[in-house]
Amino acid sequence: MKIVVLMALAAFTAACVPVAPYQRAFLARDDMALDGNPGYMKAIEKTYSAKEAASGGAAVGGGGCGCN
Amino acid sequence: MAATKGESNALAQLAQAALALPILALPVKAGAAEVGEIGFTLLGYKERGLMTIVEPVLWGRAQFMESWEVQASAAVDIISGASPQLVSNASGKPVQTITGASIEDHRGTGDVKLTKRFGEFSLAGSLAYSKEEDYESRAFGVEGRLDLNQRNTTLIAGYGQSKDRVGSSDDPTLDEPRDTKEYMLGVTQVISPTALVSSTVVWTRGEGYYNDPYKLTFTFFPSGPPLLVPDVRPDHRHTTAWLTRFRNHVPSLHGTLQADYRYYSDDWGIRAHTLEVGWQQSIDDRWSIRPALRYYTQDAADFYSPTVTRPPAAVHSSDQRLSAFGGLSPSLRVILRSNDRLTFEGTLGYVHNAANLHLGGSGNDAFETLRAYYGLIGVTYSF
Repeated sequence: MKIVVLMALAAFTAACVPVAPYQRAFLARDDMALDGNPGYMKAIEKTYSAKEAASGGAAVGGGGCGCN
Repeated sequence: MAATKGESNALAQLAQAALALPILALPVKAGAAEVGEIGFTLLGYKERGLMTIVEPVLWGRAQFMESWEVQASAAVDIISGASPQLVSNASGKPVQTITGASIEDHRGTGDVKLTKRFGEFSLAGSLAYSKEEDYESRAFGVEGRLDLNQRNTTLIAGYGQSKDRVGSSDDPTLDEPRDTKEYMLGVTQVISPTALVSSTVVWTRGEGYYNDPYKLTFTFFPSGPPLLVPDVRPDHRHTTAWLTRFRNHVPSLHGTLQADYRYYSDDWGIRAHTLEVGWQQSIDDRWSIRPALRYYTQDAADFYSPTVTRPPAAVHSSDQRLSAFGGLSPSLRVILRSNDRLTFEGTLGYVHNAANLHLGGSGNDAFETLRAYYGLIGVTYSF
């Protein structure tokens, strides 16, 4: 899976065409944001991470949790 | 001569598009002179037969003095119900057992992040704090972002540190440290006027107390006395989490594909994959729906086992969150933009974790299937 992701990233980067500022209207849409609504992200984060071993990947400095 | 209303709207939209970044701190909506947002979200989570969580979250973010932005949030977790504490094979095979009365616990969290923009570079500092009866966490983070190539490319680097204290409501004398350092590198690339991709890697180096003070393993043997063994984990945990996110708007379909993949590994022997794919469909100018499906799979930790050996290993845990299993979680979100300033969201989701969903099969037989439902409602006000 890691190799697939790397190849996809390389393909995406190679296919990039610089986008001028006046062409970025779609990129400004709410549904194009990488992170959702901060309240939703904070609430949903522990829904999964408290029951799984994996966590993280998006940010630093969030602190730990005694999720027993 | 003053601009007409039509010219003002066109200029406003052009300015907003020109200022649009691959990652927007504040989503810009046409027609609103926006400097910030405040919002409230309420989560309800219920496991079948086990735990219930209610979590209200209050958050806000605002720009000020042209180049500054502040974000903050506060939340309370209200946890009630039961958490499995004992894995015992007294019945012939290992099963989770709830040994104590139902618990009720509260966890308060708060965080604040301040960002300053210097042209194409921005620097952010953050603080986070959480407190519950048996756990306290203090953390800070620093993050830098550099926009290149007419803001089509953004490089990201970050460092964070967390100092936690682990206690136990069953043992008032327990007070152990757990310290973690975090390092992040990432890149976001605009691919086209309708697509972008972001990839970040976070490495963590943790040292300290990782045992779960509430978990026990009770193993019966064909002969000789049974053994009751506490949860003992390594005194360090080094992790790598690589998250790649893809967004692609399809104007002809009035929808946006959102796909996130995370690879995780740590020095406990755990490897995990997470894939979530969602499609946000605009119904009209106000309503959108977002169905999504999340798949998760993890391998077991090296020291995981639902039974103990005789003599017991120095490091051992029967916590099924460290076992091999997989999970599917569908969800559906509905979004209503009531006007230029108010947005309402509602989400329903289901979590199903089971041994037979482990990628490639071979999940741990002792894993007890988790079935949980959750719902979120939220409101955001832009000003």
